[in-house]
Amino acid sequence: MGARAGSPVIATHDLTRYYGRSRGIIDVNLEVRAGEVFGFLGPNGAGKTTTIRLLLDLIRPTRGHAEMLGLDVRHDRLAIHRRVSYLPGELALYGDLTGAQVLQYLGNLRGGLPGKEIAGLADRLQLDLSRRVKAMSLGNKQKIGLVAAFMGRPELLILDEPSIGLDPLVQQEFERWVEEVRADGRTVFLSSHILPEVEHLCDRVGIIREGRLIAVEHVADLKSRALRRLEIDFGGDAPPEVFADLPGVQDVAVHDGVLRCTVMGDLDALVKTAARYHVRDIHTVETSLEEIFLAYYGKDVNRHVA
Amino acid sequence: MLRNVLLKTLRDLRWPTFWTGLGLGVLGFYFMWIINTFENTFDWKGLMDQFPPAMKALVGGQLIDFSSPTGFLNMELFPLILPLVLAGFATALASGATAGEEARGTLDVLLAEPVDRARVLVEKTIAIIAGTVAVGVALFAGIWLGAIAVGSRPDLALVAAGVLSAILLALAFGGIALAIACATGNRAMAIGLTGALLVVTYFVNALAPLVDMLDRVRWVSPFYYYIGNDPLRNGLDIGHAAVLGCVAVAAFVAALLLFERRDLTA
Repeated sequence: MGARAGSPVIATHDLTRYYGRSRGIIDVNLEVRAGEVFGFLGPNGAGKTTTIRLLLDLIRPTRGHAEMLGLDVRHDRLAIHRRVSYLPGELALYGDLTGAQVLQYLGNLRGGLPGKEIAGLADRLQLDLSRRVKAMSLGNKQKIGLVAAFMGRPELLILDEPSIGLDPLVQQEFERWVEEVRADGRTVFLSSHILPEVEHLCDRVGIIREGRLIAVEHVADLKSRALRRLEIDFGGDAPPEVFADLPGVQDVAVHDGVLRCTVMGDLDALVKTAARYHVRDIHTVETSLEEIFLAYYGKDVNRHVA
Repeated sequence: MLRNVLLKTLRDLRWPTFWTGLGLGVLGFYFMWIINTFENTFDWKGLMDQFPPAMKALVGGQLIDFSSPTGFLNMELFPLILPLVLAGFATALASGATAGEEARGTLDVLLAEPVDRARVLVEKTIAIIAGTVAVGVALFAGIWLGAIAVGSRPDLALVAAGVLSAILLALAFGGIALAIACATGNRAMAIGLTGALLVVTYFVNALAPLVDMLDRVRWVSPFYYYIGNDPLRNGLDIGHAAVLGCVAVAAFVAALLLFERRDLTA
């Protein structure tokens, strides 16, 4: 089912696309292997969608080139698109059609898909396909996009911010689908600006920032350096110096008995130390990608490739 | 109707085509009906003789011929209303063909499927041609039914020649709109520029008899090839029809090339 073992499913070579001065991507060299779930992580505007639209030949590179499934994304686009599916980041569907009609149309363009398979996928998302798309909520539209991306068992799924608008139950089901694709030996390339989502689903992560691919990491390595901001409310009697000396703990400050700090790596030492005092409450605050980048790589954007 | 891009586009165009066709069909019927009334009760010739020449030119007065029903059509319907409606219709459809999907964002979804840009454009263009022809046929049917209803006997072959000429004119402007829409992805620009061209070239041709300067450049106006040879009196001029056809084909080829090489807007 998947591409030949060893050959990359996606390979970009100095892929560059300028839009005026600030946007676009620069010299992106990316390799996604057959059978992996690859996360493409970066803040909004970093170049994720630009890269994906270049791969799909919706826009053309300023220089460089790209291959998918061993074929050139420009010259062999029809052969590629028969085997690849795509969920756009800002999904737009034909508003005057029903969900079933949209999926039927897209299925027909792929040479016809069994209605049973489409209905089965829709059922699993509890999606009512009889309604017109324009009357649907954002979440339901996104479900149609997911069914479209997964139907027909494509060899490679390119999903641009797939979790937008999904409620937690649907998100779980989506994650099961990704697992099934992985178990099949097929490949998923998904973009996100949320680190936990990518950690959860992916084998490897490429991190893009300001148009440059600054790192490709195994998720396991990324987790070992996870960066968290923590607030521990001691209700008064916590000596900050005890915490400041712990490994991986930075930026310690105490105000009104509440300790705030940043922790890289696991929380073991911090929690065991805190346990010696009275703890009223613990908060962890999601760190932004930008903070993670600064903590990992500083201002230096040399590439780290796993 | 969702088997391919062609059928899907025909489906999308069915209501605009139906209503525009109905409108022109009713108009054709109505014209055949009033001509019958006016012929007997109204001194058109006397009225028209009082018009200043510029006014007559604007309403197609150069072509007035009261001796037959087609003469009346030639005065009112064919010089102004029909070409503007039909060319406007084709322009609107062509402007929205790919640029409409591009603006709505559905083009990304469509072109991620295994369909060529060229094929999408060809199939959408076929649907637009079909819609334009259907509207023209509806007008012809309206005139025909109107003639039967009032017992008039226009030369239907000449009416058909006029309608065919108008369809070719519409396809020429539709092609130009398609090329602009495919080059820019901007539907409003395609409608605006083509609409402006439509009006300007209309007046170039309509006022040519009055203004020497315009008479010298009349040959650039598609309207000259549409009606310059008076198809309702003389039948279709193959040379003039070919010019319109060539404009349409050339514009379509340009649209194809421009669309193929362009970045689609996200």
